[in-house]
Amino acid sequence: MTDELEQLYQTTYTAVVRFLYRKVWDAERAEDLAQEVFVRALAHRPEKPRAWVFAVAANLARDEARAAVRRKRHLTLLKADPVAQPTVAPAADTLVEHDERVASVQEALSTLTPRDREILLLWDAGLSYPEIAGQTGLAVGAVGTTLARARRRLVEAHDRQNPSKGTHAAHS
Amino acid sequence: MRHIPEDELHAYLDQGLSRSQCVEIESHLAACASCQAARDGIAALRDRTTALLARLAPPRSFPTPFETLRRRADIEVSARRRRIHLAAWVASIVAAVAFGWTASHLTNPAGSARVASGAPAPTPAAVSRQAVVKDSRTPTATPAILRPMRTDSTRARTPRRPTRVARRATAETSTVSIPTVMAAPELELSSVEIPPPTGEFELDGMWRTMSWVGAQAEAGEKLPYIDGLPIVQVQVQAGEQGKQPLMVVAQQLSSGEVIRTIEGPAQDVSQLLARRTMSDPVPTVSSVDSSRSSPVSPERIDGSMAMQRGDRMIAITGALPPDSLLAMIRRLNAEMRSK
Repeated sequence: MTDELEQLYQTTYTAVVRFLYRKVWDAERAEDLAQEVFVRALAHRPEKPRAWVFAVAANLARDEARAAVRRKRHLTLLKADPVAQPTVAPAADTLVEHDERVASVQEALSTLTPRDREILLLWDAGLSYPEIAGQTGLAVGAVGTTLARARRRLVEAHDRQNPSKGTHAAHS
Repeated sequence: MRHIPEDELHAYLDQGLSRSQCVEIESHLAACASCQAARDGIAALRDRTTALLARLAPPRSFPTPFETLRRRADIEVSARRRRIHLAAWVASIVAAVAFGWTASHLTNPAGSARVASGAPAPTPAAVSRQAVVKDSRTPTATPAILRPMRTDSTRARTPRRPTRVARRATAETSTVSIPTVMAAPELELSSVEIPPPTGEFELDGMWRTMSWVGAQAEAGEKLPYIDGLPIVQVQVQAGEQGKQPLMVVAQQLSSGEVIRTIEGPAQDVSQLLARRTMSDPVPTVSSVDSSRSSPVSPERIDGSMAMQRGDRMIAITGALPPDSLLAMIRRLNAEMRSK
């Protein structure tokens, strides 16, 4: 039987994993959490499953971050997280696997305020303005403003770290 | 002419604007070179952001088949129901409360009206019918009767006869009511999730968490609860056809502890208690006041206690030290009797 959730799973599973990965920085963990999200969706049958799935994913990631901080699991705190909000930094050994390009974006992302970062990640995960607004409590009209600031800051922060290749166009 | 603000251009490119807003912006863009340039800059910034974020992707993997998740969800749903049930018993001790439940209206149906209007305490005669419950299948975990602490001398001498649970024994009193005189309690129901109803009857199985009103409807307005304590949860296990449902009402004391009042067919309640007792070998109240409860036989010393009337039984469980629970029972008895 194909149901709405199954379709959602096919279309957004990857986005959910990516969204989670950008919060927990552990691919396997992100997949586990993403599956947990869909299992919960199956158990709860939410009305607006797409927004619900990302809301739950955000919560799980937050819990995960708290737990990680509690366990002080070899945290390599990225320098200067501007707000004292705990960010789960990549574990040292994971960092080695990432190349410099990844690390620089990671670090740039960590300079955003939690709210700007959240909204940017939700947008990138494919949520619409109304969905983002519904999830974050922001007015729909404020989503554009927040995204404008978040994008600008991300690119600026990234370019500050990489002044040599700062100005030329995106690597895709 | 007003130029288009930066955030609106973001929203425009993100398709976050209404159709009419888009039309407005497009017509302005067609005529405004500086806004066109701004739009192109923002489009580049947007692409740049997307490209940067794209680096932060986990290695591509194959999603687990959806069927696997579906099975997991099924397991979790039933496990959750089980947890709800278990949570009701873990670390509980079990004790019996008479608290007016054996009121005279049980033996004397006409008396119910008096009780309902706030009639005085049960007569000793009614209380004398309290009996030790014996469940042949779980003899070591049989709930035994402890008389309430606040007893008069007549009742203290009342013999307690061990009896088999006979469901049909008092068919006419099977609709026994817990006093319904009390004003509706302050409702403080926890979030209610009602799984689909089921006729299945299994002690550790299908419990439904219901709203107060829903449970009242199910029970025919007769729910066991202690007046004056906020109700935190009502759980119901539907009875088989023609059988009264088994009710568990959880209420919170001001100290934070949750106590549960169980009412239902004696056999079901005693099984529930027995199950609980087996998994919780902590000596319970029966040892606290052995002088008063002397007829309790030694093998039931770590059993539990319940109050039976005909084929109905009521019990209270609470995660409290035995003496606190006894004190509470005493207080409740006094309260119930004074109503």
